[in-house]
Amino acid sequence: MSHQLPVILFLLPLLTAISMPVVCLKHRNWSYPISVSTLAVMALVSILNLYNVINHGEVRYVFSGWTVPLGIEWVADGLASIILVLVSVLGFLGVVFTGPTSPKALGGRVVHYYTLILLLLSALTGIVFTRDLFNLFVFMELAAISSYALIGVAGGRALFSAFRYLIFGNLGAFLYLLGVSYLYAVTGTLNMTDMVDRLPFLLSSKALVGGLLFMFIGLGIKMALVPFHAWMPEAYTHAPESTSPILASLVTKVALLAWIRIVFWVLTASDTLLQGLFVFYDIPILRLMAILGALAAVIGAAMALAQRNIKMMFAYGGISHIGIILIGIGQGNQTGFVGGIFYLLNDAVMQAALFYLAGVAFCHYGIRKIDDIGRIGKQSPWVTGSFIVVALGMIGLPPTGGFFGKWNIILGALEANNYISVAAVVLSTLLTLAYFAKLLEGIFRQTSTQLDLKFGEIPFSFKLTLGVTSAAILLLGLFSSTIVQLLLDHALPPRF
Amino acid sequence: MVDALYAVLQRPNFLAVVIIFLWGFYIMVTRYNLVKKLIGMYLIQTSVIFFLVSISAKKGATVPVLLSTTEPVKAAIYENPLPHVMTLTAIVVGVATLGVGLALCAAIYQEYGSLDEEEILKRLE
Repeated sequence: MSHQLPVILFLLPLLTAISMPVVCLKHRNWSYPISVSTLAVMALVSILNLYNVINHGEVRYVFSGWTVPLGIEWVADGLASIILVLVSVLGFLGVVFTGPTSPKALGGRVVHYYTLILLLLSALTGIVFTRDLFNLFVFMELAAISSYALIGVAGGRALFSAFRYLIFGNLGAFLYLLGVSYLYAVTGTLNMTDMVDRLPFLLSSKALVGGLLFMFIGLGIKMALVPFHAWMPEAYTHAPESTSPILASLVTKVALLAWIRIVFWVLTASDTLLQGLFVFYDIPILRLMAILGALAAVIGAAMALAQRNIKMMFAYGGISHIGIILIGIGQGNQTGFVGGIFYLLNDAVMQAALFYLAGVAFCHYGIRKIDDIGRIGKQSPWVTGSFIVVALGMIGLPPTGGFFGKWNIILGALEANNYISVAAVVLSTLLTLAYFAKLLEGIFRQTSTQLDLKFGEIPFSFKLTLGVTSAAILLLGLFSSTIVQLLLDHALPPRF
Repeated sequence: MVDALYAVLQRPNFLAVVIIFLWGFYIMVTRYNLVKKLIGMYLIQTSVIFFLVSISAKKGATVPVLLSTTEPVKAAIYENPLPHVMTLTAIVVGVATLGVGLALCAAIYQEYGSLDEEEILKRLE
């Protein structure tokens, strides 16, 4: 039974998504409880899967009995299981949050809305588990198509943002496919584990370098890395309040995870290539990743400082954090890698919390701009309290997980004598501090209009999502040494 | 230079891939009409699919069904089925994306009464 868990985790949301339009044909109110309960089960199963993987080692699943390299292989190793717990729990919270905020204009189409969210989560599960490069492409496109539709649901400006996202995202996906076909033409295999054995014989191949470059640009568009980020802030700003937490916290991070898989589980996984960890085919891949990450971290935070729209500001914050994760990954030592992965977990939770806050601010208080944010101030200790916790996490102050992630990344950078990376992390932290100071000033200075407007208590689901994410940010900080140890034991790449 | 040109002309299919890809990219970047952007996107998809087909093409090969079970398998006489399967899946993925794109175009036209990017941006101000 336990070796079937990865597939069960994938099929759970997928089958619910497929049967949803039929089951909820007459009773559209059922769609919300059905998707909430499915995702609750998925979250529990993912925790069971993590427990199983930690105690009994990784699970390798081969589809319909075709052994590697003929068939498609899924591997639930430590990293995939940890990320999957994150995906399913944040997906569950996102759907709980959706309830009272779901776009009013949807009417009967609300059923399809939940179908799309479940499809998105099943596609993300596939990306996390798969070890087949082409399979990865298919799931990436499934996730992307669901995201385009989920963003476009809001209507108005969102349609145009979704169209731009579609053009960019499709270009990225097909560049990735071009890279995959280069790699296939050179190695003759699509399986990552199989490719590791064949790469050492192809060290002089230029097609390999070209293919990797195309794959990096394609995945870079998907993960909103700085030169390719243009679609991201607009799409997440105009997306419905209920969708942007799921998209912002999961989609870009899972694309980053796919790139981590390709670099650390394919390129550096074999002995001959490990010596070329820093200079690979005359291209210092990891150094390049760290430099691009440094650019993203600083530029994203600087752009966030310039925004007046709350969601736009948070989206740029997400871009800068993708950069910080890449800095950690790009150091090429254990401390940096674990710091990067730990920061990825934190960042996903923090992005979700930020967009929940932005959603509550708009749906309950009618706030979109920083100038109006003072309205929240005294009226809701829940919102203000969780906002302060998230702000501490984003800036990276000690009791939160954000601090320990950045701490490990900086330690890794010092270990690799990479002082530019250290400077970039520090600079981006200062800029983050600056834009959160702007927000906090808005809340406490009470200069907004309509301050005397009275608002009712926020609904229970808002309190639940805000409370759980804020608690998670604090808990990730308090138990950081345990989690880092867990990552060191189970999530490191082979021969690292 | 001449050698490089000669090497390129030896492989006209790859040249075609590059030309179609860049053509699609050019349309996607320079045209303001949203449907034309989608056409450019579709050209990019086609070029990648064409690349997959052209690397898997083989002269004088037959369908990948074993001719006899007793003799040792001669891989050289069979067509490799995997790139064709990938091509098929990639076409389906591309068509699905194109469908979502056209649906978004239709919704944008209903909302703004125009498909011209500049005009829509003017209305968004």
